[in-house]
Amino acid sequence: MMTAIHNKELDEAQVRPERRSGTLSGAWWKIGVGLLMTYVIVGAFFIAKGAVGFGKQGDPARIVFFHVPCAILSSIAYFVGVVYAVLCLSALRRGERSKATLHDIKSATAMELGFLFCLLATVTGSVFAGVQWGSFWNWDPRETSIVIMLLLYASYLVLRGALGEHLDRRQRLSSVYALVALVPAQYLIWAVPRLVQTMHPTTTLSDPSNTSLSYKLVLYPSFLAFTLLFVWLFQLRVRQVQLSLWQRTQKAVRQEHFAEKFKEKE
Amino acid sequence: MLTEVGAAQASATEWRGSCLKRQGEWFRQARTILMKDLKAELRTRVALCAVGVFTFASLLLLALATESLKQELVADPRGVMRPAWNAPAKMGMLWVLLCFAAFSGLSHAFVHEEETGTAFTLRLYASPEAVYAGKLLFNLLLLCGVAMVVTPIYMAITGLPIGQPIAFLVLMLSGCLGLASTATIIAALTSKARGSGALYGAVGLPTLVVFLLLLLNAAGSLYMRGAPAILHVKNIGGVLSFGVLIVAVSALLFNYVWED
Repeated sequence: MMTAIHNKELDEAQVRPERRSGTLSGAWWKIGVGLLMTYVIVGAFFIAKGAVGFGKQGDPARIVFFHVPCAILSSIAYFVGVVYAVLCLSALRRGERSKATLHDIKSATAMELGFLFCLLATVTGSVFAGVQWGSFWNWDPRETSIVIMLLLYASYLVLRGALGEHLDRRQRLSSVYALVALVPAQYLIWAVPRLVQTMHPTTTLSDPSNTSLSYKLVLYPSFLAFTLLFVWLFQLRVRQVQLSLWQRTQKAVRQEHFAEKFKEKE
Repeated sequence: MLTEVGAAQASATEWRGSCLKRQGEWFRQARTILMKDLKAELRTRVALCAVGVFTFASLLLLALATESLKQELVADPRGVMRPAWNAPAKMGMLWVLLCFAAFSGLSHAFVHEEETGTAFTLRLYASPEAVYAGKLLFNLLLLCGVAMVVTPIYMAITGLPIGQPIAFLVLMLSGCLGLASTATIIAALTSKARGSGALYGAVGLPTLVVFLLLLLNAAGSLYMRGAPAILHVKNIGGVLSFGVLIVAVSALLFNYVWED
């Protein structure tokens, strides 16, 4: 990705990774996520009963425990990314370079995870469509909008990748793109679902009386489990990017140091 | 006492006057950039030729490819057989065409400045907002010009009816605004990256897919028989609002894109 870092940025832009990042630290809650996820996977097949109104004894409806949290997280991740993009821009405006770098890393991480969860939601949705409606893809408005969301994430990552070698420029431009792409993302949420009639079972979940107790017992923990998984992945990725950036800057500092020594000898 | 009030009033007037002057300055800068771009464009005609030739070539391809579609019938959701190549489909294809045309040449406004190294002078001369306004107006004029030439030809080739003239005109204009504003900000974003040509389309087209959906929807209602006027207002307003929002967001953030 990044090969060369501009010299003037070396001392300012480097972020020394902290031992702990964020308030959620330690092993206890990660074990909790593991247990909760196991409960969701087991519960999806043994606690929840087949749903009424779906084919094949209501079995296709079980995908709700995995599909819906992914879909919700994929849109939440975009907002997380946008919030960090705004923070990054305001930090740049105030001239706080290291803070901006951290916010930029967080913004990009949220976008990467959003892309991942968006992909998962698309695949699980497509599996559901294949089983329930008989074809894996039929341009339902929901399917259209999630594909566009996937494209928006992808173009953010493409732009970011192409701006690789210049830290400051990459931070500014990718943050601006995240904000510009917020406009089409808003239309996806508010306008597109109203344009065309959908087959997607939306009302099933928004009205709590439609879901039986056995579903709620698994669905609500699954929201919690996926959200915590997102937080965990977010922390891991942020730390990894921080470390690799730190390593690269250290390497560049060392190289510069050796070059100076070499010059002195000559 | 009175003199103090008078002095305060005088300074307030002065301040207001300087604000107005600054506003005037901003407007003058934007206009100068627009005129400069137009002059340079008329001298070399790079962007105009790129967009124009691209559009005509794709128009020809489209006309050949859709020749067999004319007799095709498809069933709509109610099971009624309708011609597949109907007016909304034609309108949609026209916009797909204009969209690709925009992404073939509109990045020229920024890429040219980077290539010739004049971006720095422009940064010294004008405020970022003025640069944005100038470039946006230039792209908008170029796109409207191309659309004005291409649409009648397209209509003649495919037999696209005009529907309701005022609604059609407003739809075309708001479509051009949305397309030009997105193309401008994406051009500014990608002009500094490596391989900006390929990147331009890859970043810009996904941003425009939603806009095209809105446009297709508006085109659908434009040719619907007996559609109430409020439906046109709603749908075309949706298209227009996209362009306005993109312009607002870009104008707010252009400062960050332009400083380097």
